[in-house]
Amino acid sequence: MKMTQEIENRNNGARYSSTLLKSISKPGRYAGGEYGQIVKDKATVKARFAFAFPDSYEIGMSNLGMRILYGALNSHEDIWCERVFAPWVDMQEQMIGHDLALCALESGDAVREFDFLGFTLQYEMCYTTVLNMLSLAHIPLRAEDRCEEHPLVIGGGPCAYNPEPVADFFDLFNIGEGEEMLPEIVRLYIRMKDEGRYTRADFLHEAARTIPGVYVPSLYRVSYHEDGTIEAYTPIYDDIPTKIEKRIIQDLDRAYFPKTVVMPYIETVQDRITVEVGRGCIRGCRFCQAGMVYRPVREKTPDVINCQAREIFDTTGYEELSLSSLSISDYTRVGELTDKLLEWTNPNMVNLSLPSLRADSFTKELMDKVTSIRASSITFAPEAGSQRLRDVINKNLDEADLMRAVNVAFEAGKNQIKLYFMQGHPTETDADLAEIPALAHRVIDEYYKNPNRNKARPPQVTISVSPFIPKPFTPFQWEAQDTLEEMRRKQAFVGTCVTDRKIKYNHHDAPTCRIEAVLARGDRRLGKALEEACRRGFKFDAWSEYFDYDAWMSVFADTGIDPAFYANRAYGLDEVLPWDIIDCGVTKAFLKRERERAYKAATTPNCREACSGCGANKWGGERACCPNSKS
Amino acid sequence: MLSEQQIVNRKPKEAYPALEQPRTVRVKFRKIGNLQYISHLDLQRTISRVLVRAGIPMWYTKGFNPHAKMTFGLPLSVGAESLCEYLDLRIDRDMSCEEIKDRLNGALTDELYVLDVYAVPQGSAFADIIWAAYDIRLRTQGLSPSLADEIKTYLTTSPLMMDKKSKSGIRQVDITTLIRSLDSSVENDELRIRATLCVSGSDYLNPEYLIRALRERFGLLPEGDMTSEYTILRTHVYLTDGVTEFK
Repeated sequence: MKMTQEIENRNNGARYSSTLLKSISKPGRYAGGEYGQIVKDKATVKARFAFAFPDSYEIGMSNLGMRILYGALNSHEDIWCERVFAPWVDMQEQMIGHDLALCALESGDAVREFDFLGFTLQYEMCYTTVLNMLSLAHIPLRAEDRCEEHPLVIGGGPCAYNPEPVADFFDLFNIGEGEEMLPEIVRLYIRMKDEGRYTRADFLHEAARTIPGVYVPSLYRVSYHEDGTIEAYTPIYDDIPTKIEKRIIQDLDRAYFPKTVVMPYIETVQDRITVEVGRGCIRGCRFCQAGMVYRPVREKTPDVINCQAREIFDTTGYEELSLSSLSISDYTRVGELTDKLLEWTNPNMVNLSLPSLRADSFTKELMDKVTSIRASSITFAPEAGSQRLRDVINKNLDEADLMRAVNVAFEAGKNQIKLYFMQGHPTETDADLAEIPALAHRVIDEYYKNPNRNKARPPQVTISVSPFIPKPFTPFQWEAQDTLEEMRRKQAFVGTCVTDRKIKYNHHDAPTCRIEAVLARGDRRLGKALEEACRRGFKFDAWSEYFDYDAWMSVFADTGIDPAFYANRAYGLDEVLPWDIIDCGVTKAFLKRERERAYKAATTPNCREACSGCGANKWGGERACCPNSKS
Repeated sequence: MLSEQQIVNRKPKEAYPALEQPRTVRVKFRKIGNLQYISHLDLQRTISRVLVRAGIPMWYTKGFNPHAKMTFGLPLSVGAESLCEYLDLRIDRDMSCEEIKDRLNGALTDELYVLDVYAVPQGSAFADIIWAAYDIRLRTQGLSPSLADEIKTYLTTSPLMMDKKSKSGIRQVDITTLIRSLDSSVENDELRIRATLCVSGSDYLNPEYLIRALRERFGLLPEGDMTSEYTILRTHVYLTDGVTEFK
């Protein structure tokens, strides 16, 4: 403990000045000093890593991947990983006005001084914020413009499965799960420095050559056909892979998992304990990228999950525990797990929350375990209104399942149901769309038919409809997105079919979804548009108040990019796709098969019922639900 | 922070004998450095988690939505530090004050740190706190030594009318009536003001008013000047006589 006199005499001069922090909103975003943050001696560590989340502190601090990788890197004594988030707009103005460079939270040192700057790419709409942060950090945007003294800028996360639109700005990408790969990259850096043979170029080449899952975009040349489609990817060295295989963790039980959390003082979006129960999803919805790229489906054992959750509770005191999974009720031992958890969560007044419940596995038993959550609403995602269209997208959900699930909720006293849908799926007609509000009407009818309903308040059904966005590595990756006009027409059409005031209708912003489609299926040529967008001050495009569609259109026009080429064009089945440089496990042959079945409205059984031969089982994995044989 | 081993070896709070009646203990803590940017609301949420991870045997309210019973002393505004914050906790098991202090500090950082834990003295209540002493420092270039006296005279000569915000709206107040004592000195590039200000109910005088007065009258800390800075540190809190320290 410091003496009082010392406290009175100390100077607050480091990092952002106190005068600056006192002049902006929510200074707690930039102060650091949270309980659980890791501080090391910068004189003795061998590599400094700034882990950047390209969004606000409140969003970034909620991210489980960041919590894991922060701990995984810091578990190496000679690596110091710190956090950095995108400063909010008022802070950015001050930083630019006073020529202050972006700092990391723990040390308050400029990230420009670090060895690595790693961005997690969680959604496409964060790309402009990535460039915005590089520019605030006073680091050249393009990898080719950086010199030896600049940090190596690396990227990972779900959007790295098609890294091409941001390829110009990154020195290196991690493809796949990072717990093992990321420390390997930093260790190679330390080793080369120790051996006195480090240069930026040699490091990148050696990483690409020796570390599976590493993609160094500058080592691959892309050529194009006259029609603008890609001709080929050509590695510039013959000792680097021609296709980058994603990395997976073989045994999730033994993978690094943090024992604590950096505790934010200010309120964040998901301020609670989050523990994964597994990775991947057995379902195979044909629009869903996560359901494809996280294969093979692997589970953790209940004891491990229980211990990890308990350990974090002991070190944090959080009042809520959330089990993270793409579909929690598909976890094979969900009953056993929740029983174990409830043994200590109940007496400690910790709420258990189970997100992403599927309607067909939503039971009274499961419901009783989560009633501790006071929310009066429950959410299901039928994704399409008609059974035909649900078969097209392989949702594998019957209306009867949904009606059974809402009745369970009604009998538990809930009277608000939220239903998520998408519009613009392949083969969709207005008749399919009209089924969205019709389904909501039938849920309301179901409420009144249920004698055990909560009669205190009238029911409310909220339908949220988002436009379909074709994503890489899905059976729908080749599909065209509806034009903006068509998206808007459909949104209005659905609205006209809502005739009951007990139904609330929301829809997603169509222009945002169009830009997201461009970025999701983009290639390297988008780099110049993103660079120009950054020059024009774009940032926080995931925030509706900062998203400006017309400004995007002028950026595209001025940089010679046709957004329709990426969003509204059906990609050719034999075309070289921008993400063909990546091997994420599921094969193109499988995706094509699934696409054909979609057009025939034929469903495919889930991974547990039958193997559909997607190809991801070639990597094995402990407690994977795949057959062991490599197909 | 506690080491992992310490957490593992710690007795669970259930091992302590239950009290017949819940007991209230007072916690004196400091809130300095980065913690000055954390609002009162955020502090409350933080403390409720600290109590859990520290394993303090809190008494829980018996309602539909049980929560640990804790009461804070004076609020501290964002941007001010303090060496004398108070918090009353109600516990339902017989854990010594010394152990509560150690447990809390194991679950806290240096910047939010418990200085003392003790049984609440008979009849003592947070409403007894009427005055607070502050140490205000302003670091900037080119301060003239005569400034100290000018500032002292300005801030202590009645009337000094300022717009003061309160729950009932903005009103003109002679702030000198809310200043019990004030001293000012200049040394090198540092202006230092030690002042005892009223903290009672609607007469609460936020020390930021003194900063504002210096800005407006003496042109110190002009808007956008990032090279100058100031700190506000609450050092003591007093009873109505302005001399006896609150306990």
